[in-house]
Amino acid sequence: MIKTVTKIVSGLALALVAFGLSACGEDEPLTQGNDPQLRRLTEQQYRNTVRDVFGGNISIAGRFDPLERIDGLLAVGASSATITPAALERYEALGRSIALQVVNERNRKVLVPCTPASEAGRDDSCAAEFVTSTGRFLFRRPLTDAEQTLYVSISGDAADTLGDFYQGLAYGLTGMLVSPKFLYITETSEPDPDSDGLHRLDAYSKASRISFLLWNTTPDAMLLDAAASGDLHTEDGLEQQFERMISSPRAEDGLAAFFEDMLEFERFEILEKDPVIYPTFVLDVADDAREQTIRTLTYLLLDEGGDYRDIFTTRKTFMSGALGPVYRVPVINPVGWVPYEFPDSSPWAGIHTHLSFQALFSHPGKSSPTLRGQAVREHLLCQKIPEPPGDVDFSDFNDDSNPILRTARQRLDVHNEEPSCAGCHKLMDPIGLAMETFDGAGQIRTMENGMVIDTSGELDGVAYEDSIGLGAALRENPSAPACFANRMFAYGTGHTPTPAERQWMGYLEGKFAEAGYRVPVLLREMVLSDAFYRVTPPDLTQSTADANDTFAEETKS
Amino acid sequence: MTDRLRHHVLSAFGALALCATASAAAEVDTERTIGLVVVSFYTAVYETKYMEECPRGLAIGNDEIWWKSLDPAVRDELTDGGEIEPVTGIRRAMSAKRGPNGEDVCAMPTIVEDPPHKIVQGSISYGMNLDGNADGSATPKTCAHKNFTTPDGVAGIDNQMYRLLGCTFGWRDSGYIETNANGELIDTSQGVTLIEISEVDDRMNDDDVTVRMFRANDVLPKDAQGNVLPYASYRIHDIPGYGAPAQGRIVDGILKTEPIEAFLPYYGNLAHSEIHLRDMRVELNLNASETRAKGMIAGYRDVDNFWSYFRKGGYMAVTGQFSCPAMYVAAHELADGYPDPETGECTALSSAYKIEAIPAFIVKPESDDMKVSEMAPGPTQTRLAANQ
Repeated sequence: MIKTVTKIVSGLALALVAFGLSACGEDEPLTQGNDPQLRRLTEQQYRNTVRDVFGGNISIAGRFDPLERIDGLLAVGASSATITPAALERYEALGRSIALQVVNERNRKVLVPCTPASEAGRDDSCAAEFVTSTGRFLFRRPLTDAEQTLYVSISGDAADTLGDFYQGLAYGLTGMLVSPKFLYITETSEPDPDSDGLHRLDAYSKASRISFLLWNTTPDAMLLDAAASGDLHTEDGLEQQFERMISSPRAEDGLAAFFEDMLEFERFEILEKDPVIYPTFVLDVADDAREQTIRTLTYLLLDEGGDYRDIFTTRKTFMSGALGPVYRVPVINPVGWVPYEFPDSSPWAGIHTHLSFQALFSHPGKSSPTLRGQAVREHLLCQKIPEPPGDVDFSDFNDDSNPILRTARQRLDVHNEEPSCAGCHKLMDPIGLAMETFDGAGQIRTMENGMVIDTSGELDGVAYEDSIGLGAALRENPSAPACFANRMFAYGTGHTPTPAERQWMGYLEGKFAEAGYRVPVLLREMVLSDAFYRVTPPDLTQSTADANDTFAEETKS
Repeated sequence: MTDRLRHHVLSAFGALALCATASAAAEVDTERTIGLVVVSFYTAVYETKYMEECPRGLAIGNDEIWWKSLDPAVRDELTDGGEIEPVTGIRRAMSAKRGPNGEDVCAMPTIVEDPPHKIVQGSISYGMNLDGNADGSATPKTCAHKNFTTPDGVAGIDNQMYRLLGCTFGWRDSGYIETNANGELIDTSQGVTLIEISEVDDRMNDDDVTVRMFRANDVLPKDAQGNVLPYASYRIHDIPGYGAPAQGRIVDGILKTEPIEAFLPYYGNLAHSEIHLRDMRVELNLNASETRAKGMIAGYRDVDNFWSYFRKGGYMAVTGQFSCPAMYVAAHELADGYPDPETGECTALSSAYKIEAIPAFIVKPESDDMKVSEMAPGPTQTRLAANQ
């Protein structure tokens, strides 16, 4: 990312000024919270953690099991994700690979904080030093005595067996890397001394929520120190950490990860286009299209401190050499990324007009008004579209060669004569049809089978002529910022807001609106709130901890 | 379709569609410039079905001469008693090193004397009338030579390069030399020529435009089928010597320029080169297809410049099937332009190259007249010279 801390800080400052720097939490509605979560690390969180703990030169070559998307977010799915035996084997192989790199001759000098008395066998003191310092970041809290003993013991036993301290240490580290305490963000609760009868996350769990929300990685030393000292439970301490983290360039990583999840961008990994129909859609283009939208969002919302609703209308974006020919626009430096602003007369304004959105929500060989409309409804407005009936006849719609039904609009009109289809399609199709001048690979077209494409439609009563008008309608749709706030809260907590949290969500949405829909303010409101850390009583936490200890014992054996 | 979209589509496709609306690219600051990148560059060779232009056959290959020169014992050794073909790699190297003391005859083409090169005997050729006369008689800038007539009957065509290369396998249709060079151009993005047509008021008819040619400094992006994508952006290379301005005019979508001395980048057959043309002129149909311009570059190519290309790619003598010494002698004999003031011998070959080009954005450094996004950094703004 090319943005600077200065820009972020200035953007945030602007947002906070607009917000009036109102104190958080004063009139915050009480919530009962939800269960503490046990969230499996996403692939990116795993990678980020390893990078941050051991450095960027550690190769992470492995396959990660996908997460289930629940209520629009993988982050929510992560809270109910399991690890299959096969996946555990892969984690073990990956952990072993990472561990061996950490202790190799080049890296050990930096990553192992001590020198063993002898490299030919165990040195529990040195192993303990490594396990303590490393385990703190991997488990996102200090290791318990039992855990410390466990991994030092594994390291020592293996070192004795192999006659090599570092090889033994690699076994101990592998054990930590396959521990559920690493692979799952494990939250624990404690009574809230400020609210009788209510519970909150403990300081380390709180640190994890903040860190994965803002940076999408494990808490750093300063955040863990703040948890250890209790500062994180104070208003000032919490605010200090928030300001530090939101002002960092790494906040872009956090926001990028959120939007990758919200916009279902993980599907780019498997996105295919028919190369005969869409020859321009090559791998570089797909990769850059994905990044373009993320860069646009982080620039607008963090660097500029912009209004969230402007994501539907902004013409400011970034352009790469690979994307230039597809958009047919100049790129002043074809190597890397350059800021770019689409001309006012162009058809691109808002992320829904980006190549990424158009290509992702299309079929391999043609566009799809329905998929695009569904994506807008579900991802940007948080409106669930029911699954189609199992016996739908798509033949009319799929017949592109029909000499009478030449446009997607015409074919959908016929398709929607079936009452069981019409109800949902009328929610999706008018949105998607506005984007029909983008083909299945996101390139501009004006005609379909010799007919001029009609892009007019309406969104919840607001009429428009084209995708630009659709963007304007989305911008003014109250569901859009409310959706964003709900998704952000769900993303941060790992659970969809419960009915008991509706009042809090209404409060958060109101604060978001008061702040001119500035995202840093929304994040600040969340992170400094009580509700973000409110959890139900600790029974589940205890049972989870017990299960983890059992797992750890099994791992050792 | 909304007006907004219609306007943009006109802009996007306006470069070669040559719609007469001068405001086609109003959203960028380059509406008066057409940018092109050359994606195909072939020596213009006219061929008939039965090779009537080469009644004496095709040129003899370097390795054929070499092989004939070997005594039977050496042939026996190289072929393991006649059981195998001489290994290609060895053959290439050895066939070139057949000077009296093993000298490379492509690097030192006068060190041996080979049978004469076979040249074109026909009277039809592509090309242009470079010297202004129709009978091929000598002028202050040319030596006497035979003129050609184009396939559609235009007389006075000067193309001694065709006469030299037209009966050599490597330069004929599907011949290795130029097919390979064009493949390398696309694959490596080396030696890529950019054409900038500026000061364009009317893309169909404009009696005063300026044409410059540059060397590209960025790769040619390709689609899934390996075709170069139109509308890519290219920065110009900072190697000096390119970009000489030529005045031109556009008539019914055909661009024609006045002659200038110019250098064009070139890469082919693993050899970096540069084409030096005097009296170079461009004739380009900007309307050849929706996204492709086709035409010709012609001029007098300096013989030494021409030969430097051969010296860098000696194996071409094998893959192209010709004798370096014979080709060298013929090139000098056929030279028809720019007589040496002392000897009177001409030093350049009238030449013509068929080119195809697609729309491109040409980015020129350090100028102040490019409109860039206000998001762009100020001090290092670059100028976008080409448009669509």
